[in-house]
Amino acid sequence: MKRAKLSPGERAVRIFGYILMILAVIVALYPILWVILSSFKTNKEILSSGLSLPEHFSLDGYKQALEMAPIFQFFATSLMISVTATVLNVLFLSMSGYIFAKKRFRGKNILFWILSLSMVIPTTALLSPVFTVISKMGLYDTKAALIIVYIALSMPVSLMILRSTFSAIPDELEEAARMDGAGFLKNFFLVMIPCAKGGMASAAVLAFLESWNEFTFALILTSSVSTRTLPLSLSYFTAQFSFNYTALFAAITIAVIPSIVIFAFFQEQVNQSLVAGSVKG
Amino acid sequence: MKLRKLAAGSLVFCMVAGAMASSAFADEIVINYPTFQVGANTSAPAIAELVNRFNEEYAGQYRIEVEEVPGDENYADKITVQIASSETLPPVVYGAGQKLLDLALQADAVKDISEAVDADPDWAAMYTESWEEVNCRDGKKYASSMESEMIGYFYNKELFEQAGIDGPAATWDEFFEDLDKLKEAGITPLAMDTADGAWCTQLLVGAYLASTEEGMEFLKTKYPTDYNNEAMINAMAKAQELYQNYTTLDAVGGAYENAANNFFSGNVAIICNGPWMISDFSDESKTEAGFADKVGAAAYPDSFVYDAPIEGMFVTKQDDPALEEAAVAMVQFFTSNEAQAVALDLSGMVPASSAVEITDEILEKYPLLGEFLSQASACENRASTLTGNMVPGLEDIWDNELPNLASGASTPEDFCQVLTDFAAANPAQ
Repeated sequence: MKRAKLSPGERAVRIFGYILMILAVIVALYPILWVILSSFKTNKEILSSGLSLPEHFSLDGYKQALEMAPIFQFFATSLMISVTATVLNVLFLSMSGYIFAKKRFRGKNILFWILSLSMVIPTTALLSPVFTVISKMGLYDTKAALIIVYIALSMPVSLMILRSTFSAIPDELEEAARMDGAGFLKNFFLVMIPCAKGGMASAAVLAFLESWNEFTFALILTSSVSTRTLPLSLSYFTAQFSFNYTALFAAITIAVIPSIVIFAFFQEQVNQSLVAGSVKG
Repeated sequence: MKLRKLAAGSLVFCMVAGAMASSAFADEIVINYPTFQVGANTSAPAIAELVNRFNEEYAGQYRIEVEEVPGDENYADKITVQIASSETLPPVVYGAGQKLLDLALQADAVKDISEAVDADPDWAAMYTESWEEVNCRDGKKYASSMESEMIGYFYNKELFEQAGIDGPAATWDEFFEDLDKLKEAGITPLAMDTADGAWCTQLLVGAYLASTEEGMEFLKTKYPTDYNNEAMINAMAKAQELYQNYTTLDAVGGAYENAANNFFSGNVAIICNGPWMISDFSDESKTEAGFADKVGAAAYPDSFVYDAPIEGMFVTKQDDPALEEAAVAMVQFFTSNEAQAVALDLSGMVPASSAVEITDEILEKYPLLGEFLSQASACENRASTLTGNMVPGLEDIWDNELPNLASGASTPEDFCQVLTDFAAANPAQ
């Protein structure tokens, strides 16, 4: 098939488009590359010539990072907590999203907005009450505490996404299933859930990233190495009057890679989640 | 058959021994000790050693379990949330210049340790006037210091020589003349900063403030609420001049690490900081080999040095009196003269107690520290730091406003007014 020849104007527009895309890629990738390159530099090189390539590629930063902080243990804990919080978040919020989307009951909209409003409460305001509640429940310094808090933190976003997702599924599908004899649970798990896979994946990705990157509650609610998560490990490398940027950037490299991989695999779902609800609410 | 009996006997012996050992350790009191002195913190080796020594000395009775809270600010945030939540605090909290003692006292969470201190003559002797100012309230002893904030400045001898300067200035006039000489020789004189409390800058400003009687009096005021005084305005005017003419471009917006890197790289001749920086001068990941030999230490002009014990460890009120006793034993151990000597040896921490001897071995290990301490001992004027005495929260206003002062967007008078407005609206309780 022969390609249509572009006019000079169209060619200029296309070239301009490519230039814009290349710039966008550079802007997106540069900070990540900078961090990875910095993990091979000395502290002096990082602070004096931040943009240059390392004089010598050295793995000392990674060695120091692993010696100074139990990064792999924190990594495993982070993974366990984030995965559990994500699975539970999506499971529970898909149930509530379905009810908010498909069922009618008094005070539905008010309840939905109250739950959504929790998104705008600043973390600082939540610290003290959450700490008190978790302590009173006897969950201080447990993984369960972080899992519960992370499920709650991701609740408003997941609820909005999943409510929009279930709203977009035609009611006829549900009615047909009911006529075929499907009960409430069968209808939800066998008909609705398969249709909402896209929205659930979007909610899962955002919930996972929120849990994986969260720092403040992990600091406040845990005390032992066995319950600490990866973001806390980054604080081992800088103190008020002391710093080890090489080790810090090595630790960041180890910490961000899973987030990048997850995002790369599920970017379609994340992008969809950002526009979810803009068409039909 | 014999073998069976022997095996059974061994098992019984192991079980009895195990039971006895476990009953011995069952009475052991565990002290959960959160600390930020881990990781990259320069005090980490000393604290780890002291924890080991305490656990050995009190084996079977008390045991410290360290909770690592890396990052000074993170530590302060965590303790602050615990205080605000009215939950039981860890048995021992280190104030560490984060103003945690007053916060915990407001929540009525601190145990008065006067009786324990007075029962030990060596411990009681540590409570000099400066100690009492930091660690006591209303005549009651609440905290005990393990480290002193004795601070002067460091200078690059090679750069001084290039500029034709013989050594540290004795007066502020000489100091500013030296800055001009450095500038004329093409050398940037000062390492300054504006971010994270502008540590290096506030040391310089405070030292200059101490050069007048009014300034010194102000510097010694705990939690002042009025910064509109001539000495403070003059000091901020001097800071503005220094930002605009005598420091690096990255000073505005830069934090301690930028200032330190400029000094390590030989980009500037002078940096104000404490002796904890000394070990960095020989760290080849931060500076070139042999840099430590180029560095000199000095007290400030007009015979001034920062010298105040850092707010120490305090015991918090617990439901279990035995745990409180264990916590008192820990504070006594960690702030004893022996412990301070260990901290000096391992991490170069300047002792808070004047009874700790600076031995020849220490002077050989840290020659620059010896040089500084000998100059500091001759100083007639002493005070704690400017930001250390600010009301809680004012440090954030201080570093938010400094870039405006540095660029000339605000005048020294405006700057002092902003500080006054905040301090007057948020006085310390």
